Amino acid sequence: MKNFNKKIALIAALACAGTMLAGCNSNTTSDDSNSGNDTPANDGGNSSSDGDSGNADAGSNAGGGDYEAAKTAGTGTLTLPEGEGKVFNIYCWNSDFKNYVEKYYTAPAGVTFNWIEVANEGGAYQTALDQALMNQESASADDKVDLFLAEADYILKYANTDLTQDVTKLGVQNWGVGYDYTYDAATSTSGVLKGVSWQANPSVFIYRRSIAKDVLGTDDPAEVQAALSTWDKVDEVAAQAKDKGYVMFPSPLETYRSFANNSNVSYLSGDKFALTPAFNSWIEQAEKYVENGWATAYGLWDDEKQAQMGTDGKMFACVGPAWYFNFCMGTAQEQTNGDWAICVGPSEHFWGGTWLLAATGSDNEAVIADLMNAFTVNEDIMDKILSDALEFPNNKNVVNKYANDASYGLDFLGGQNHIAMMAQCAEKITWDPSLHTQYDQTFNESLPNAYLEYLKGICDKDTALSNFYITLSEVAPQITHD
Amino acid sequence: MGKRVKSVSYAKWGYIFILPFFIVYAIFSFYPMITTFYYSFFENYNQGLTTIGPNFVGLKNYANLFTPNEGRFEILEYTKNTMIMWILGAVPQFVFSLLLAVIFTSVRLKIKGQRFFKTVIYMPNLIMAAAYSMLFYVMFSEVGPVGMMAKTMISQDFVVFNDVAASRNVVAFINFLMWFGNTTIMLMAGIMGIDGSLFEAASIDGATGTQVFFRITLPLLAPIFVYVAITSLIGGLQMFDVPQIIGGATGAPNGSTRTLIMWLNNVVTGNAKDYGKGGAISVMIFIITAVLSFAVYRTMVKEDPTAKKAKRRNTHGLL
Repeated sequence: MKNFNKKIALIAALACAGTMLAGCNSNTTSDDSNSGNDTPANDGGNSSSDGDSGNADAGSNAGGGDYEAAKTAGTGTLTLPEGEGKVFNIYCWNSDFKNYVEKYYTAPAGVTFNWIEVANEGGAYQTALDQALMNQESASADDKVDLFLAEADYILKYANTDLTQDVTKLGVQNWGVGYDYTYDAATSTSGVLKGVSWQANPSVFIYRRSIAKDVLGTDDPAEVQAALSTWDKVDEVAAQAKDKGYVMFPSPLETYRSFANNSNVSYLSGDKFALTPAFNSWIEQAEKYVENGWATAYGLWDDEKQAQMGTDGKMFACVGPAWYFNFCMGTAQEQTNGDWAICVGPSEHFWGGTWLLAATGSDNEAVIADLMNAFTVNEDIMDKILSDALEFPNNKNVVNKYANDASYGLDFLGGQNHIAMMAQCAEKITWDPSLHTQYDQTFNESLPNAYLEYLKGICDKDTALSNFYITLSEVAPQITHD
Repeated sequence: MGKRVKSVSYAKWGYIFILPFFIVYAIFSFYPMITTFYYSFFENYNQGLTTIGPNFVGLKNYANLFTPNEGRFEILEYTKNTMIMWILGAVPQFVFSLLLAVIFTSVRLKIKGQRFFKTVIYMPNLIMAAAYSMLFYVMFSEVGPVGMMAKTMISQDFVVFNDVAASRNVVAFINFLMWFGNTTIMLMAGIMGIDGSLFEAASIDGATGTQVFFRITLPLLAPIFVYVAITSLIGGLQMFDVPQIIGGATGAPNGSTRTLIMWLNNVVTGNAKDYGKGGAISVMIFIITAVLSFAVYRTMVKEDPTAKKAKRRNTHGLL
């Protein structure tokens, strides 16, 4: 018994020690001693477009100026100006961007990248980030947040405060080669550009070729798209699929963002919440799909949905962007690789995205600009983001290069050139700042998830809404509703 | 010659040895507890990145807890959920542990390999509750082995985690599995503390096993049993990790597995970081715990005189 107690004590002590270590950061030092020519990306004087994105088409250099210099960002040629800090602190919620930086980006000599990774479980990332940003003033230069990552659903929370800074002053701007919506999303309500995104996330229908063949007689993306070009047509296909023993969607939530992204009304007016007509259309559709057996009532991330992607899976399609089908369809990658294809579906929309925002008070402004330009206009890096990392880069020059390359395709999609299809979609995505709020994450996740319980038959519609209001009261106590 | 030392006092060493505990307790428990009370009288939360308050609002936070939110009294709802899940797990746990404790300590049975069994039944407690819950979540999910079995046995539409009673029972079952070993060991210690001559005398008088159990073991075990029941109740009221994994932050299905601490967690660590409301909830949980513990104590320590004697004896036996 004594020994046993000792063991328990030891385990307990280790557990305590373990928690102390949890949350430690990893350090990455750029041991690149290449201090060659200085073609700094940040030449100041580029604050022409005040974040207002009335920019020209792909390839044209909207701001003129230093586009050519910006294109060489991230090659390690930047020499640190006097007074720049040596430690570059980045807050992120997973290691995706970190991996890309480590693989494709050459940091200026003498700068150490310090990644502070906080998993986004239960909003923990935002909590940690908020804390750091609020302590920014009192933090020592090397501990200040220099750059942080944010998602579309809460980017406004940061872009609209003084805790983020105008990146056009640092030599970053909408050069016209990226997708405008990504710049609009990172622009504060007063029109100041606070960051950029290295990816665009047009979300598309990802359908199973063999099932499409069985139901529609074809698996050709263009023909399938013709059959799914409006919601009415999708309904027809769903009914046909049902007759053959399939389900159109694994979750009624698949189509939520199609509706929400194309809404012309915000959930909030002032501090008052109201369901939007777009939401009502979605829930109407969801009810119809679940009732008719056209969709199974699972959540977007349920294991049951994964199971439907396997060899015996019955789902016709799910909806998502490049990161979804390349990284979140594990079962499909394993068991049904090559049996998938994409088409745009009835309406263009996006899902997710990672924005880089510049924190106010950073002592590494040159590195911020270098990193931002590297991951938007450096075509070598953006090419690798597309071809090597399989993401959809926010650079039309690179996208067009692959879209026009008939030989390019993804094995997972049976050789389909998905870039061409997604490029059309990305062009049409818009971001109207008046429709977005800092609480979008709650509206886009908690709200449909509360209604999912109703769709599953667990509770009635009013209870679902009441459950959501309780969640909302915990996120934003000041918000009222009718 | 100096003064003659009449006696050496070792008392100060005793105080020095227990000092670290009191320092740690004061900093990490007592001080936060006082500030919790203090902050419960303030309005203090975030709107985005703007902090509102702290503004003194008196008892407004408490008043809000007892005003219906969306026509619902959240505090009652969550107390009910917590208590249901605790009772579902604790009652079988007491019965089962008592049975095991009696079997293991029985002089007649003389079970071999006791240490092995004790280690095994204690084992689940060593696994992180979250990891344990995840395992169960996977097993009981619609594509998991138990979930699929339930489908074939009950009905094709039956999904464990869509069913209120089933979900609560899964939570209770996990808690049961994790804690019955601990309870068994406590109760065994209690039984072993009972004077062996009493059992001997009883068997000489020809008492049956049942009689010994109900007339000797149970009454003399009462003090330990009260201790076990109250610690289990306090643990139960603080139930968090298991239901958080099984039901998610909203306590699916339909908020039925949402406990008081899950609610507190959402209020305090959510985007709003509502410390005022969180403080008020914490104080209410404190009061609920105190009241229920007192009630349990009262109901169990009724049958007196023997219990008091046993308590004295047990303390000897134990320490």
